[in-house]
Amino acid sequence: MPIVEARGLTKVFRRADKGSGLAGSVKHLFARRYQDKVAVDHVDLSIEAGEAVAYVGPNGAGKSTTVKLLSGILVPTSGEVRIDGLHPQRDRMTVAHRIGVLFGQRTQLWWDLPVSESLAVLRDIYGVDHATYRKRLARFDEVLELGEILPVMGRKLSLGQRMRADLAAALVHGPRVVYLDEPTIGLDLAVKDRVREFFRGLRDEGTTVMLTSHDLADIEGFCRRLVIIDEGRIIFDGDLEAVKDRFARERILHVETTRPVPLETLRSSLPGAEVTLEETPLRYAVRFDRFAMTAGQAVTVLATLTDLADFRVDEPSIEDVIRRVYSGDLVLDDTGVPR
Amino acid sequence: MTGYRALARATARAALTYRFNLLLSLGAVLVQLVALLAVWRVILAQAPVNGFTWPQMRAYLLVAFAAGTVVSILGDFRMAFRILDGDVALDLVKPIDYQKARLAEALGGLWIEVILIGVVVGVTLAVTGGMDTPAGPALALFAASMLLLVPLKFLIVYVSTLACFWTQNFMGVQWARLAVVNLLSGALIPLVYLPHWLATAAQWSPFAGLTSTPALIFLERVDLGEGLTLVAVQLGWVLVLWFGARLVWRAALRRLTVNGG
Repeated sequence: MPIVEARGLTKVFRRADKGSGLAGSVKHLFARRYQDKVAVDHVDLSIEAGEAVAYVGPNGAGKSTTVKLLSGILVPTSGEVRIDGLHPQRDRMTVAHRIGVLFGQRTQLWWDLPVSESLAVLRDIYGVDHATYRKRLARFDEVLELGEILPVMGRKLSLGQRMRADLAAALVHGPRVVYLDEPTIGLDLAVKDRVREFFRGLRDEGTTVMLTSHDLADIEGFCRRLVIIDEGRIIFDGDLEAVKDRFARERILHVETTRPVPLETLRSSLPGAEVTLEETPLRYAVRFDRFAMTAGQAVTVLATLTDLADFRVDEPSIEDVIRRVYSGDLVLDDTGVPR
Repeated sequence: MTGYRALARATARAALTYRFNLLLSLGAVLVQLVALLAVWRVILAQAPVNGFTWPQMRAYLLVAFAAGTVVSILGDFRMAFRILDGDVALDLVKPIDYQKARLAEALGGLWIEVILIGVVVGVTLAVTGGMDTPAGPALALFAASMLLLVPLKFLIVYVSTLACFWTQNFMGVQWARLAVVNLLSGALIPLVYLPHWLATAAQWSPFAGLTSTPALIFLERVDLGEGLTLVAVQLGWVLVLWFGARLVWRAALRRLTVNGG
């Protein structure tokens, strides 16, 4: 049985439709008009225990709203959610013990208490016994280096410190399902790396993780499954690597030559590839489909024209694929095949 | 239970973080108390008005001060801002009851309030002379009324703060509540000074229990039977509001929109 299940999940927000200016606002007082905004539109989703799912989509696509519906914060307009077979509103208390939620832009620490006290309050709220609590804290400390921030007041934390403390706060009760909504937003690279390592640890322990992020580096190497949402609808749900294999066919060969070569010569000898000049002289970029040509072939052709000082091949990231999906360039169906 | 106790303790500690703020707001209330004492002293110097003598009015104002200080320091601001900000989302994924959790927080701040009341009442009595306390049964009834005041006041503040789910603004809600409470609870002037119809309406409203009821019992301006009725009204409102608040909360959840993040 899936641990998280959503069927026909829909959330409609009603937004006051005021005309422009003061006249519009006054008119709104007497004749109220509203506009319905469908934030989440008939989403079906089923996540098995232990899965790590990436949930991505452009701004305003409905990612956070879905997470709030799946954690029982918002009541769906229609459709239903089951967490471990339980109804998140009716069984709020039981469900709360099984899920952990982190919203990167929000904190659940007390501003006016040291982090250690905030965590202790959460420990008592969740009824975690002291021995287990100490063990978890020690584990968080290994990766997140919590020790140094425990005595700091909530309001005095830097963003990176706050996020580490909030991660501990979201996981202090050892939830089986964890929703991470933009968990690395605004963090510097060092902290990001540490946080990502922590996520991998979570997954390896069998925690079910649903990760929402704009930073696709969070996803690569962590999630196997990719779900893409746009305008409230799931437009793709499938294997991340398969998408990458299928759509990330493009390779870019960067070469540096010892003397200038006319662009036309390069282009005519590499038909099917797109050759462009890079910013510095003597550097060229060759863009090609890896199924039409191998990097080795491209290098061989170039070597017959000129001496190569250096070359490097870039593989596209999943980011490129998703960017193309967002921009409408690429339409995927549920099996990851372009329509 | 440990969860609620932990919340109460956290608030008790957090309150101390803002001790300067606390002293400042206490200063403001004190100025008001001193001003009211001075005004009534002049008004009542010659003859009692509506049956209030100066020592009685002084006792009334002190009880009103105590009643006004209880459950006043913390809580509603934090709760309101969490609702307006959307941080309330994180309160919803905790395995505790939202209403009970907020009550625990209100109770957590109580100890500081009780100390403040003790100091202010002590100083006032030292400066302006001693005060008569009512006989045993009336004193017990007064204590019961003061105890009921805690959940009653919490609930009135709580329900009105839930209005933030609809108004998207806290200041308006707070000002409206303060205006209504100050007038109808008898915190500004005893209810007998109001027009008869308004006084009667106020008497049966939940607001009378916030000042008027304990003050009248303390001054023995009502006999034991009447006092019991007034305390029963307090208790009734506590029950009505406790369960009514749950309905409001349920409606608020349906209304909840949390934008961004």
